Formats: sequence, C-alpha cells, structure tokens
Amino acid sequence: MIKTHDDFPGVEWIDGTGDFIRVNSSKCTGCGNCMKVCLGDCWEIVDQKAQIKTLATCMECASCWYVCDAGAVDFSWPKGGTGYRSDWG
Amino acid sequence: MEDFYDVVVIGAGFGGSAAAKKCADAGLKTLMIERSENVGDKVISGLTIPIYGFLFGPDFIRDGNPPFERPTDGIINYIIYDIDAGDMDIDDTLRVPRPFSPVVTFGYNTYCKPFCEWQARKAVDAGSELRTSTTVVDIIKDNGMVSGVVLEDGSRIRSKIVIDAEGSQGILAVKAGIRKKYPPEAISLADTYDYVMDKKDLDRILGYSLRFCWGWDEQKIAPPLGHGNGLMVWPYRNSVHFMQDHCLRLDGNKVPNLKKRFQEYHDNITTKLPLWKEEIAPRCHVRARMWEGFEIYVGLDPELKKMSNHDDGIILIGDAAGLESTELCDGVPAAWFSADIAADVAIEAIRAGNTRKDFLKKYDDRIKDHPIIQWSISSRNRYNLRYAQEKHDKRLLKKYVHYAWGMGQLTHSLTPILKMTFRFIKKDPAIVTKWIKMYFRYYQNWLHESYDYTESRNRIIDPGRPKTGEAVFKILVGGQDLILKILAPIIKLLAIPAFYLSIIANPAMKILLPVMRPVYKILRVPLSPLGNWLSDKVVRFVDRADPSLFEVTPGQSIISQKGSINLKKD
Ligand SMILES: Cc1cc2nc3c(=O)[nH]c(=O)nc-3n(C[C@H](O)[C@H](O)[C@H](O)COP(=O)(O)OP(=O)(O)OC[C@H]3O[C@@H](n4cnc5c(N)ncnc54)[C@H](O)[C@@H]3O)c2cc1C
Repeated sequence: MIKTHDDFPGVEWIDGTGDFIRVNSSKCTGCGNCMKVCLGDCWEIVDQKAQIKTLATCMECASCWYVCDAGAVDFSWPKGGTGYRSDWG
Repeated sequence: MEDFYDVVVIGAGFGGSAAAKKCADAGLKTLMIERSENVGDKVISGLTIPIYGFLFGPDFIRDGNPPFERPTDGIINYIIYDIDAGDMDIDDTLRVPRPFSPVVTFGYNTYCKPFCEWQARKAVDAGSELRTSTTVVDIIKDNGMVSGVVLEDGSRIRSKIVIDAEGSQGILAVKAGIRKKYPPEAISLADTYDYVMDKKDLDRILGYSLRFCWGWDEQKIAPPLGHGNGLMVWPYRNSVHFMQDHCLRLDGNKVPNLKKRFQEYHDNITTKLPLWKEEIAPRCHVRARMWEGFEIYVGLDPELKKMSNHDDGIILIGDAAGLESTELCDGVPAAWFSADIAADVAIEAIRAGNTRKDFLKKYDDRIKDHPIIQWSISSRNRYNLRYAQEKHDKRLLKKYVHYAWGMGQLTHSLTPILKMTFRFIKKDPAIVTKWIKMYFRYYQNWLHESYDYTESRNRIIDPGRPKTGEAVFKILVGGQDLILKILAPIIKLLAIPAFYLSIIANPAMKILLPVMRPVYKILRVPLSPLGNWLSDKVVRFVDRADPSLFEVTPGQSIISQKGSINLKKD
C-alpha cells in the first residue's frame, strides 16, 4: 500500500519496509540527538531512551545514525521497492 | 545456483549507471542492482550539474540528449546583512555573459529521477541488466577478496568486480570495513521544497540564474555561515527548488534542532526577501518537500579524505567514495568522472585477470590525478565563511562570497578546468567540435523538451525555415573540425605544454581580476543591447534549426527502439 503525509507533499511511502532502523536501548544514552535532526518526526524519548515513533515519514537520510555517538542506532535500508519515493527530487 | 557476472554495480544513481554502461559497452556481463522500485525514486538533489561534468564526463552523456529542466547561466548571490532594513549586497559576477548565454551555459538544472532513468536506459541499451526493488545487504568476501553481493532474500550474486555506487551513507562499505561512518560535522542535511510556477513567470523573474542567499547567523535567513551549503533557489522549467542545508553537528559538539531551524529560515526568507515575497510567493504553490544528507566536508578532513576507495575486488565511486564537492556542492560530475575511471580500471583488471587491490590502485591514482575532483572536494571557500561570521565583517563576507561564487571563482577553478581541457584536446583535438555541438544540441533539447526516448525527438522540422544560419553553422563548425583534424598532430603536441602551463592560470587570474572586474562592470552596460540582440538571434536559430546539425553521430535523432523499456522490473 502507498501512503502520503500532509506535511510532506509530493512524497509517497510504500508499505513493507520492515524495521530498518533499530535502537539498542542498552547503548542509548537518551541524549535526543536523533530526535533533533529528524525532519520526519520519527523519534521520541521514553524513560530517557530513544524510541522510534514511526517509520512512516522517514526519508532514509540516516541523520539519526550519523549523530548517535553512542552507536545505539542501527541503520539499514528498507526492503527493496519499499519506503519513500518521489518524482521531484 | 548463484548468478555470475563480470561486474555487479550497486546502485543505479548518477554514478552507477554511467559505470554499468561503459562496462556493458566493453562486452562485460554487467548487472546493476537498485533498491528503489523505479530508478531515481530515492535520489534527491538540487540540482545543477556544472558544465564541467558534461564536458569531461562520460562520452554518452556529452554526445547524447539527456532530460533537462533548464540551462543555467550562473549565480546571483544575495549577501544579506539586515533583511528587515533591506541592507544587502548583490554579487552577480559569476555569470556567462550574453551573447554566449543561454546557449553556452554554466550548467544544467534537472530533476534526478528522469536523468537517472535516462542514464539507466542507456546502460540497459548497452546490454547491462538491471534489477530494481532489490536491496544489497552485504558484500561477499572470500579470504578478504570481494567476490559478489548478498541480496535481502539471502541469495548471492557472484562477480569478478563489484562497483559500489551506493551513495553517501556508504552503509555497505562501512559494514565491509572498507570505510568508516562519517562524523556528523562532515554531513549536511538538505531540506528541499519543490514549488510549481508558470514558465513565463519563471523566465521573467529568475531567468537562467541560480540564487544563493548568505546572511549573518543572527538574521536566521539561512543556515549558519560555513556550517552547510547555505540557502539556494533553482529555477526549473515550470518549478522552483528551494534548498537549505545544515551540518548535523556544529562546533562545540552541538547537534542543532534542525526541524525548528529549517522552519525558521524558510519562513524568514520566503516572507522577507523581496524577490520571494513579492515576485515568487504570489505565483507559486508547493508541490513537494523532501530531504537528504550529503558529505559536504569529507574532502577537507585529511583522515576522512584518506579513507580507501577500493579493495580486493571492489571499487567505490561517487558519493560512496566521498567525492561530493564542497566547492559548489555538486556531486554529480565527480560521480560521473569516477564512474568512467572505475569502469576503465574494471575492464583493464578483468582483461588482465587481476582484480586485486594492487591492480585496482590505478583507480585511486587516477582519482588523485583528476584536477577537477581534487579541486572541488578540497576547496575551503565554504568553510571559511565561518571566519567572516566570527569577525562579523561585511567586507570579509562580501569578499569570501565573491571569491567562491562570484567572478573570484576563476582564481581557483581556472587551472583545474584548463588542465582537463588540454588533457582532452591532447587525446583528440576534434573534441572541441563535440563540445560546441553539445551546447547547441542541449539548448535545442531544452527548448523542445526533446531528449532521448521522447516522441518529440522525431518532431517535424519546418521545411520553410530560414536556412542561412544553418549554412553558416555548417561552414564554421565543419571548417573548424576540418582544421582541428588536419592540425591534430601539432595541436596534440601543443596541448602538452599548455596542460603544464595551466598551473599559472589561477595565480594569473588573481593579478588580472582586479583589472577585469571594473572593465567588466563598465563594459557590460553599453554592450548589453548588442549581446542581447545577438543572443536572441542565436536562440531563434537553434529553435528552428534541423537537429541533425547538432548531432555528433548522424541518425541519433531517431527515437530508440528500446524507448519503451520497462525500468520498473528486472
Ligand atoms: C539535497 C542535495 C542537493 C544536491 N545538489 C547537487 C547539485 O546541485 N549538483 C550536483 O552535481 N550534485 C548535487 N548533489 C549531490 C548529488 O546528488 C550526488 O553527488 C550524486 O547523486 C551522487 O551520485 P552517486 O551515484 O554516487 O549516488 P546516488 O545518485 O545517491 O545513487 C545511489 C543509488 O544507490 C541506490 N542504493 C543505495 N544503497 C543500495 C543498496 N544497498 N542496494 C541497492 N541499491 C542501493 C540508491 O537507491 C540510489 O539510487 C546534491 C545532493 C543532495 C542530497
């Protein structure tokens, strides 16, 4: 299924990505860097640990992975043919 | 059973398809693997591809007809000291003057998707296979030697060489231990808006020029100086791209709240900059918003720059090799150059039966010897804007902007560009004819949207069109081509000292620029009516001319039989 989001026109998200971003809670320091750089609002902090709120607005830029000094964010790509797509990039 | 190829290319972006095309042309069994459903779905960019990418990049791009959104004649810089008080300077000195513009350009603006599709079609036409909707999850290593890739379903594909064109994140290269994850201060995240606008309004308001905005940090009209690319506006055919980008980490280990900052800059510039507020805003509506990061400062850090771009059985190209330029933030030319070099080395290695690191080192040597790649990844202009902010000196900010994105560019870009020019002329002086025809062909292509694989490539040409211009073009360009061919041995010889002498072009420009600048300023006013008149005449000629006049290989204007190839599935 293809989804869109009002805040991000012109972009579609194809279902079936799988959990392509994962957090290792034992490594997470709760610094919130991942949340600060995410333009898709995909992250939240619960009990001082980062958690993925949604991947439905993730544009796979990997910024959360870059800013995680603790190495708690494990970033891979969604399953082939899924995730975001746009004709206007 | 495992599939076996000579070359597997990971990623069908700007670099991947260019490499695959060359390998397939050489008769190698080649496979491109792309994770998106359609080629180009996930490539997000600005995008102006500077002219040197076309002049010195892969032959099939220079001699072909790719899809363009608009040629661009240069940059108009807004240097904003106080936006509320309207205190700003404009530097528009880096523009190709008329009558050369708009046919002779600074670069071409394009959407990534159609361009990447065009390239992938060319690769497929050449015999490369393409698998879309397929993510490579790992690289196979046998005793340290890369021998293929692992797909997400666990299946393995073997190859003699892997060309890794996976883009800037380099997830596979990091996983395979070939490169390290970049630190966040080397990465800039770009927030991009696509606005639709009527072409007539665009022609009048933005014309062919890019707009860059630079301002003091406290103005909050663009990301902090030197901590990202800046804020830029690109005119396309019927749309405008607005892009702002910001490093993921600032000095003092500070990770900024990018969502908040980008919103602030976007709101400020669109409601306060007169160009946007008065001219663009009433005539546009947003069609898309997206973001992507790129490796803006990798070339400036000696440790990062030193990271490997090849290993036993594998070559990394484009963004995956850390080649995004910090100069103009243009990564496409380097992706093309490195793809071309990687394909050459892969072909040589396979023929020699040696795909080990010691042989593939040739690739690294040629990258290091590439004047444009080396200049564009290690220029400090953008980074230096930080000092202007620190000193808060108007003159310094103006000077830095002029030096980097005004006429001052010539004091550091001329040597690498001349070196490449003479390197190409030394190989084949007749390349000059191909360059000239390219400008004309591309311009006609933009006027008629007649790129390869489109029906308009077969449009009917008005038989009653005036033919004098065509005759003049044939005589001038044909005559020049003949002379170049006759004198080829001498020109080739002369190109050798010219190549070495190019080294003095940058310092010479430093001396000449203070003289050139005022002369250019004074002359440009009285000469502009003549320039405009001539330029309009050339444009009218190109508009109506027989396309075969600008073709490098006769018969190219015929639509490809494979034009309807479905790139969606393998
Ligand atoms: C916002 C922005 C603005 C830019 N502006 C400009 C500009 O104005 N001018 C310019 O010249 N350059 C610009 N660039 C840079 C330019 O886009 C890149 O340098 C260029 O795309 C690099 O080409 P590439 O082939 O190395 O990688 P890409 O074009 O990124 O291609 C990588 C491809 O690999 C695929 N892929 C990745 N991983 C896998 C995997 N594991 N399995 C299968 N497929 C995979 C991706 O889906 C993608 O199609 C900009 C970049 C950004 C982000």
